Amino acid sequence: MTETIQLGGAKETGFFPRLRTIIGRRTEGRGVILLLVILAVLAFTQPLVFTALPVTIGRIALIGIVALGLTAVILMGELDLSVASTLAASGVVVAIIPDLRIAIPAALLMGIVVGIINAFFIAIVGIASFIASLGMLFALSGLAFVLSNEVPVSIANQDAGLAFGQPLFGPVTPRILLFFLVFIAIQLFVTKVKAGREFFAVGGNRQAAYDSGIPVKRRIFTGFIISGFVSALAGVIYTLELTVATPTAGSTVLLASFAAAIIGGNYLKGGRGSIIGTLIGASSLGVLQVALFLSGVQVPVQNTLIGAILLIAVITDPSSLRAISARVRATLPDRTKVEAQ
Amino acid sequence: MAAVVEAKNITKAFGGVKAVDDVSVSVEAGEILAVVGENGAGKSTLMRILAGIETQDSGQVIVSGEVIPKSDAKASIDAGISLVHQELSLVPEMTVAENILLGSAPTTVGITRTRQMKQIAQAALEEIGVSVDLDERISKLSVALRQFVEIARAVARKPKVLILDEPTASLTPAETDYLLSMLQRLADRGMSIVYISHRIPEVFRLCDTVTILRDGKQISVLDVAKTTPQQVIDQMVGRELKKDLESKRSSSPGHVVLKAVGIRAEGVNDISLEVRAGEIIGLGGLVGAGRTELVRAIIGADPRKLGKVTLTVNGKTKVISSFESAVKAGVGYVPEERRTDGLALTMTVAENITLPNRKELSASGFQLARKIRTFADDLSKRVGLRPPEIDREAGQYSGGNQQKIVIAKWLGRRPALIVLDEPTRGVDVGAKAEIHRLVKELADNGTAVLVVSSDLPELLELADTIHVVRDGTITGTLSQEEADEKRVMSLAAGEQVENA
Ligand SMILES: Nc1ncnc2c1ncn2[C@@H]1O[C@H](COP(=O)(O)OP(=O)(O)OP(=O)(O)O)[C@@H](O)[C@H]1O
Ligand SMILES: [Mg+2]
Repeated sequence: MTETIQLGGAKETGFFPRLRTIIGRRTEGRGVILLLVILAVLAFTQPLVFTALPVTIGRIALIGIVALGLTAVILMGELDLSVASTLAASGVVVAIIPDLRIAIPAALLMGIVVGIINAFFIAIVGIASFIASLGMLFALSGLAFVLSNEVPVSIANQDAGLAFGQPLFGPVTPRILLFFLVFIAIQLFVTKVKAGREFFAVGGNRQAAYDSGIPVKRRIFTGFIISGFVSALAGVIYTLELTVATPTAGSTVLLASFAAAIIGGNYLKGGRGSIIGTLIGASSLGVLQVALFLSGVQVPVQNTLIGAILLIAVITDPSSLRAISARVRATLPDRTKVEAQ
Repeated sequence: MAAVVEAKNITKAFGGVKAVDDVSVSVEAGEILAVVGENGAGKSTLMRILAGIETQDSGQVIVSGEVIPKSDAKASIDAGISLVHQELSLVPEMTVAENILLGSAPTTVGITRTRQMKQIAQAALEEIGVSVDLDERISKLSVALRQFVEIARAVARKPKVLILDEPTASLTPAETDYLLSMLQRLADRGMSIVYISHRIPEVFRLCDTVTILRDGKQISVLDVAKTTPQQVIDQMVGRELKKDLESKRSSSPGHVVLKAVGIRAEGVNDISLEVRAGEIIGLGGLVGAGRTELVRAIIGADPRKLGKVTLTVNGKTKVISSFESAVKAGVGYVPEERRTDGLALTMTVAENITLPNRKELSASGFQLARKIRTFADDLSKRVGLRPPEIDREAGQYSGGNQQKIVIAKWLGRRPALIVLDEPTRGVDVGAKAEIHRLVKELADNGTAVLVVSSDLPELLELADTIHVVRDGTITGTLSQEEADEKRVMSLAAGEQVENA
């Protein structure tokens, strides 16, 4: 070493400064706080949530599994609005094919194909993901109605379905187990695998990713395939548990999964967020929904509350707080006064 | 000696415009080649083609005798071409280490090896002699540090040729100095370097050879030892650049237009200042001293913690509480980050220029198309926009030309106060002189001017009075007669100035 230059930005030393920078770098903060607040309030008002643990976790898994796949896409700054209708369509596919050994792979394959088609329009044709996946949303919900003849379809093998709803051990049903497997798989993918880590670059600065030789289009394909596959898996779980597929299944899933990802600190423009955050966001929402249900709150009122919490979660993000305060100040009645000189 | 990297007969057109027209360059091992030319001459485009980011219409890039595939960024990197971009190309939310190994993180069966990644990043930073926390996010770093991180990334790829596109545009003199000697060291070890800059002295200090581009064409390749700065500039511009006739302005400042008292804000510590009509006040200091924060707080673009700002126009004094009220009261602002703050990149030049002038150009709410066109046309010619096509999208212009559009936008308005933050960063010599002339003209017509610049000659040329800022406070004030480079620098760096 011949020469060096001091430009600031050196590593913080000391335990507390280090801890502060580490916490400052995480994105899940508000999700954690929200979850803690909800849990604290419920400990007094609705302790049943904790005794009904299997129900609560099951609810979390239902919202969460789709949200996890969706997060992979959101990290790249894209949207996938077709997740809920993928769930519905794949659920119907499982029900109309009598042999589950064919039905399940077919439904999952459908999810992958949906992802490929979405990614094709977005990465190759160059359509905005909002529009491409909106088109897919309509196409798939139409397909779900056509395949099911617009009526609920029961699965042929009712026994398998009933068995599927039973806990494997403790409170863990197959749904919960699959949810955790999906969580672990996607978490490992975006934190350890090179391709997955590059999702953050694709979302954070696409030009920079491209300049550095990252195959941006391939990453977009991967993301949408993950999202499509996971949504299809959710559809399979849904149908097996209920032993019947409805073409309108998962109508609330779309909004709930976006809400979970956003509460968990994922930035819709991409590049910032985490899978753990989505897990926390889904947990907050799931616990809240169960609590509201147990308290006998009507579904429309539940939705209103969830909407309010979503907004609170977004505007309490420190960086958006700053931006909002500046904007509010700028739009307040102009305080420019004319003074005599 | 054989060329390490050779670009042969490269041509690239955007629409009808030939950005690069049959250009050939080559560098040998250890050679430092300068590429110079006016804004829009095609320098960045040529480099982006070399890096496989832009696709050439014809021509080849050859590395150590092998033709590398077109528009394949990965192949270019692997072949040994590393580019440090003109506009920073880092991912703000990722860490320093991740950015240095962006796209080329070491893996075993697809799994990133984080420890090894950090080692490589650390080694690259040590090679360029910069120390920074590997786990820090880029968005938390200063502009200068980001620039060095980007250089570390280029170096970490162990390139045969390292290309730097205006790397010193946002560095202080000391940092520039450091960078130049570091590049010399790398070249001494056999790395080839292509260096782009509008600062001719840097070229003469560092480079062996200089290639001159004008309007996409290669004008000449000169041996730096056998040429003079004036020759290079003349060839760049294609005409003889009139030396500015030492235009000392007869400064007879009028009434106080801007009065800022006790400004405290993020990075600004109790600063007061005044600007009079027809006066040019310069804010000198190092990058990161708090000058940008100060001017943004003054005009209400960023929140102030404390302090009062008033603007007096036509005998009426108004309190500036928000950016909106500032603009309404007659403030023009040319921000430092033109790409994010100053321009709507997808709007045309005409739309950008007329943006702050909507009122003047509309009759009872309707915009007068013809009036707008002549207005925009006139202004874009005055700032020397190249090419002066007002229907092109602003984003399609080269870096320096984008800066001219931002300036043009406010010129037309004849603001009571104009705040310029690094007005000529990345602007070529000819256009720079032109912008200086325009700023002086504004002042002569009674506009109060507040200019932030890290470019010392510029500050000395423009300002009637220079306030030097360090760590958010004014450490010294120099009149035009007192000011020279040494004094400004020592105040900026915090050394005591002896009274001479
Ligand atoms: N994406 C694009 N679309 C259309 N025109 C473009 C595009 N990129 C560059 N150009 C044009 O190509 C020409 C060369 O631009 P380039 O950025 O290479 O100039 P430069 O020499 O780097 O200038 P500067 O010194 O200002 O950075 C300019 O006329 C510019 O307007
Ligand atoms: Mg350029």
